[in-house]
Amino acid sequence: MEALLTLWQSTGIANVTWRELLMLFVGLGLIYLAIAKRFEPLLLLPIGFGAILSNIPVAGMAGPDGMIGMIYHVGVETGIFPLLIFLGVGALTDFSALIARPSTLLLGAAAQFGIFATLIGALALNLLPGFDFSLADAAAIGIIGGADGPTAIFLASRLAPDLLGAIAVAAYSYMALVPIIQPPIMRALTTKAERSVVMEQLRPVSRLERILFPFAVLFLCALLLPSAAPLIGMLTLGNLLRESGVVERLSRAAQNEIINVVTILLGLAIGSKLSGELFLTTQTLGILVLGAVAFSIGTAAGVIMGKIMCRLSGGKVNPLIGAAGVSAVPMAARVVNKVGLSENHHNFLLMHAMGPNVAGVIGSAVAAGVLLALVGT
Amino acid sequence: MDTAVADLLIEGLWLMAIGLGIVFTFLVTLVGLLMLMSKAVARWGPEDAPPATGVAAHSIAPSPAADGDRLVAVVGAAIQAYRRRHRP
Repeated sequence: MEALLTLWQSTGIANVTWRELLMLFVGLGLIYLAIAKRFEPLLLLPIGFGAILSNIPVAGMAGPDGMIGMIYHVGVETGIFPLLIFLGVGALTDFSALIARPSTLLLGAAAQFGIFATLIGALALNLLPGFDFSLADAAAIGIIGGADGPTAIFLASRLAPDLLGAIAVAAYSYMALVPIIQPPIMRALTTKAERSVVMEQLRPVSRLERILFPFAVLFLCALLLPSAAPLIGMLTLGNLLRESGVVERLSRAAQNEIINVVTILLGLAIGSKLSGELFLTTQTLGILVLGAVAFSIGTAAGVIMGKIMCRLSGGKVNPLIGAAGVSAVPMAARVVNKVGLSENHHNFLLMHAMGPNVAGVIGSAVAAGVLLALVGT
Repeated sequence: MDTAVADLLIEGLWLMAIGLGIVFTFLVTLVGLLMLMSKAVARWGPEDAPPATGVAAHSIAPSPAADGDRLVAVVGAAIQAYRRRHRP
């Protein structure tokens, strides 16, 4: 009889709390979004499953001795996983569009306004009861506006590990929602004539330029902003592997095997931060709202900068490409292309939008470096 | 307004000013550096083989008539080879 009682007490049914139960449903919800709606399935599926595993009562998989807890400790607490992803992003990204038209970097810079505006928004939320965001928390929330998953995870793991789960979920969910969030803002801020501007074809970029590019970025990072060196360093290494053309195997490994393995582990580790105590708070609700604000403001700032460039260049720049400045590669560039095509069926903006798009990646890495240097102690 | 929150907000505004300032400085400098780099490469760099996009554009474009003839010949040969191999 006693043995039966002990057995009963070790079952999940006897131990489950309402929070764990609710988080199991959150995990299932994320998996549903990934499978049925194709929302960033590469990340939301492992995150959702990680959330389920971490909330199995008694098993303690997310605890310090649990499997997922250890993965988190090794990969996310140290910042290694997001950096390895950045290596892969560097190897996957073709910066030619940016090299051919460097001025599009300004669009990538303007879109980072979303990060800092959201930071202020998070601090202002402190006026409401139930919110208590420190400056570090607010900075980590603001980086959602960078629309760059690995950067957001990297910064959040440095500045506000407790909010990591909510921030990562918000960042990836809104990246999946870019095709819904961006077009109305883009249309509201531009006129029909501006949207149908046809841009000059980009000049071809030589191999030497593409090889020198990572060094130019890294050199500037070393001079001006060493705190961004981990992110920029891995990005440029990945890109050099790609462009050098002599280490095909390493480049392919970074683009496929490494990034895929790390994505699985990173998803599980983030899922472990979706535990009831950390996730089911009013703060999470605030973060989800702020995330949408961050994306919208970033998009608006990019488009406005696009309009300024359009005026200054005498109508040679289509302001729509500014919206791609919020990184979210390559989704944001595709959205720009689609909105442009709906105005003029022969106006393909995809290549032109790739410039600000990859500039956004560099821009949000720089912004993360600034926040780390100023807020992280 | 709560003074603690007001202080935080002021700090946040500073962070925004400095942060955006650095982001813009960094990227504007990068714009300059990239332009210099492109100029230097164009001037002193080696003669580059025509880039991939250029090649693709050329290989599709020239003399459709001649290409069409060659295409017919190639496809015809392929069909003959296939039939020969698969004859019962």
